[in-house]
Amino acid sequence: MIGVQSGQPILDSLGYTAAGLLPMAAWLVRVCVTGDLPAARQVAAAATSPARVHLACVLTALLCSTVLGALATLLVARISGAHGADRRVAVPVGEATVGGLLAAVACALLGTAVGALCNWPLLRRPGYALLATALAALVALVQAPSPAHAAVHDLVSGSHSGAVPMPVPACAAAALLCAVATAVACALSSRRA
Amino acid sequence: MRALRPPPGVPGTPLALEGVGRRYGSRGPWVLRDVELAVPAGTLLRIVGTNGTGKSTQLRIVAGIDQPTAGRVRGRPRTAYVPERFPAELPFTAVGYLTHLGRVHGLRGRRAAHAAARWLERFGAAGHAHTPLAELSKGTSQKVAVAQALLAEPELLVLDEAWTGLDQRARGELDRAVAERVADGGAVVFVDHDPRRLTGAADAVYRVQGTGLAPWDPRGPLTTDAPARPGAAGRRIRIEAVGPPGAAPPDGLPGAPEVAGAADGGTALTVPAAHSDALLRALLTARPPWHIRTVTEPPAPDGPVGPADCVGHPPSGGGHP
Repeated sequence: MIGVQSGQPILDSLGYTAAGLLPMAAWLVRVCVTGDLPAARQVAAAATSPARVHLACVLTALLCSTVLGALATLLVARISGAHGADRRVAVPVGEATVGGLLAAVACALLGTAVGALCNWPLLRRPGYALLATALAALVALVQAPSPAHAAVHDLVSGSHSGAVPMPVPACAAAALLCAVATAVACALSSRRA
Repeated sequence: MRALRPPPGVPGTPLALEGVGRRYGSRGPWVLRDVELAVPAGTLLRIVGTNGTGKSTQLRIVAGIDQPTAGRVRGRPRTAYVPERFPAELPFTAVGYLTHLGRVHGLRGRRAAHAAARWLERFGAAGHAHTPLAELSKGTSQKVAVAQALLAEPELLVLDEAWTGLDQRARGELDRAVAERVADGGAVVFVDHDPRRLTGAADAVYRVQGTGLAPWDPRGPLTTDAPARPGAAGRRIRIEAVGPPGAAPPDGLPGAPEVAGAADGGTALTVPAAHSDALLRALLTARPPWHIRTVTEPPAPDGPVGPADCVGHPPSGGGHP
């Protein structure tokens, strides 16, 4: 049974919530980065620098997805059942919520990294950008070395054992990847008209 | 607002392009190549060239929006840019957008809101201060675009056809605002399709030729006895003033006026029309202040603006609106 429903095992539900956040974070980057009209963007870039304007766009998207992810996590933790996947092991709600929040942050950060790398200025054509975003988001969720995969996987397997994971290393790794991806995108923002 | 242009000899050069080249894509043709351009403080530079020759690219590099593919840009003064078109469909009112941009430009607290209101009023758009940008007419939208660039008194002002779409009164206001920026020691670089724009006021004119940029004398070889200052034709204003006994006019006056003696110990200063307000302000606020006796517009020594000013600008306007 996959999905987030009232009374479902809390760690499973938090895992799916975090996983769903990743493509949404990538999409929000696209919205923020391509939403401004070129004229308005150029005016702001002259006053500051193209890199700072681009950084502001990416950070806005990251802030939005983090806040949304936190709200979603709190809601899911509230409506889910405080038990493991087999409905026999008890799972502490407080600890599970913290674990879920960390996983959500990791997914928001990695989704932002995907969005930063798969949109302007690196990929300019909408078709390629959308295709790359979808593929990269999928790979980031299912492929082993990805911190988002690790965080979600830990939550779901924790649901079977009853042990609540704290995906702090995954969060740190995702933050690093997000910083590198954003830096690359910002550095290129003055080279692509 | 009162600082005079830095005296000659100590001109700061806040921005210089050194061997700058730009092309789009790794195999695209060079739009610009080996461009050398110094933008000293307190100067008005004009760039001319026919459409599609890379003037806008040139301006974007000067404004710091675009990075050159080759060469380097030295220095980055506080910059403001007015784009060719400003279809501002942003979720702001006019005054809200300007206040926001004022903060981006570094104005603190209420100064941004005050500057926004002041510049909207100056361009005759105060009535639209609380209109959403998306509902503004093209002309008012352009006034907002111009106001955002002027409100923070930038050290470098880059204008890409900023006059297009403005009404007659606002165009005159922009001319004066440009002269003020220059008089305050700022640098202004502009492109405009109207060859008579700020005639005679520009300190230097550069022409995009092929992929290069060359200093250009708008009077060309037609008149061999042309003054050294490019574009010396155009409307000029003669100001007769009286200073303290025996005093010479202050250094670094706006518009580099031609100084001559006048009757009764007065001094006659002649400047391009765009600089006349800034010159008057400089004289009146000098210490000790100068007394203004008359302000007149003498007939242009070379007759009306000659066709030489139109070189490089096809009269058709090349499809400009």
